[in-house]
Amino acid sequence: MKNFWDKISKNTYYKKIFKNPFTYVTGAVLLSLFQIAIFAVTGSPWGVSGVFANWGAWIYELFGGSVDKWHYFSSTGAQATLDNGILNHGGSWLNFGIIAGALFATLAASQFKLKKIKGVRQIVAATLGGLLMGYGARLAGGCNIGALFSSIASLSLSGWFFAIFLFVGAFIGSKLLAKFFM
Amino acid sequence: MAEHVIDCLGEACPIPLMKVQKQMEQSAIGDVIIAQIDHSCAMKNIPEWARNNGHNVEIEEVDDGEWEIIIEKTN
Repeated sequence: MKNFWDKISKNTYYKKIFKNPFTYVTGAVLLSLFQIAIFAVTGSPWGVSGVFANWGAWIYELFGGSVDKWHYFSSTGAQATLDNGILNHGGSWLNFGIIAGALFATLAASQFKLKKIKGVRQIVAATLGGLLMGYGARLAGGCNIGALFSSIASLSLSGWFFAIFLFVGAFIGSKLLAKFFM
Repeated sequence: MAEHVIDCLGEACPIPLMKVQKQMEQSAIGDVIIAQIDHSCAMKNIPEWARNNGHNVEIEEVDDGEWEIIIEKTN
């Protein structure tokens, strides 16, 4: 059995497909093809972060809360999506796929590892960063997928506008990172 | 010819690369820098940066999801 796995781990195709990271160009081409497929199949452009708002609403409802009066969920479309539940929500399945796919990829490359937390500062930064990204993505009407990638692919000017300010944010973020983490 | 080990385990991008760049500035030509990483994108951007700057780079997989990037400063 051990011989079998040793043999696979030395196989050229295994290394090419599962072990070594794809080049940026390969990744870009695959992303483009898949986002076209998503657009063709679901009829709407690929988005990731909008789904999390729904997940938040469903969790809130689990604990007896109601988002009926919230402006964000006030449209009949948004209400219908929430009423249909998470299992009937295509966007949720796309995100499940990302999580499952990432897990499979790291297991297949035998690179799975539980990483240790470096300290309180890392926890604070990760939590703050997550909150800011999530809140910002909802204010901006999308994240780097919905508002950048899918927008540009749909020939929308807003995607390029988003890109400019993404660079501004990344520049400020890297300065903060260098100040507090180096 | 000194050897510098940088512990970047548990650090996400771009911190490992920034730590290596900082250590490179403080090192002399011929010094060896060993970056311990467990973030796979650091396995891509650190060697890429170092090779673009003409340094010698070797990557060693020391455990599942854990690598050592060995860089010899050449200029």
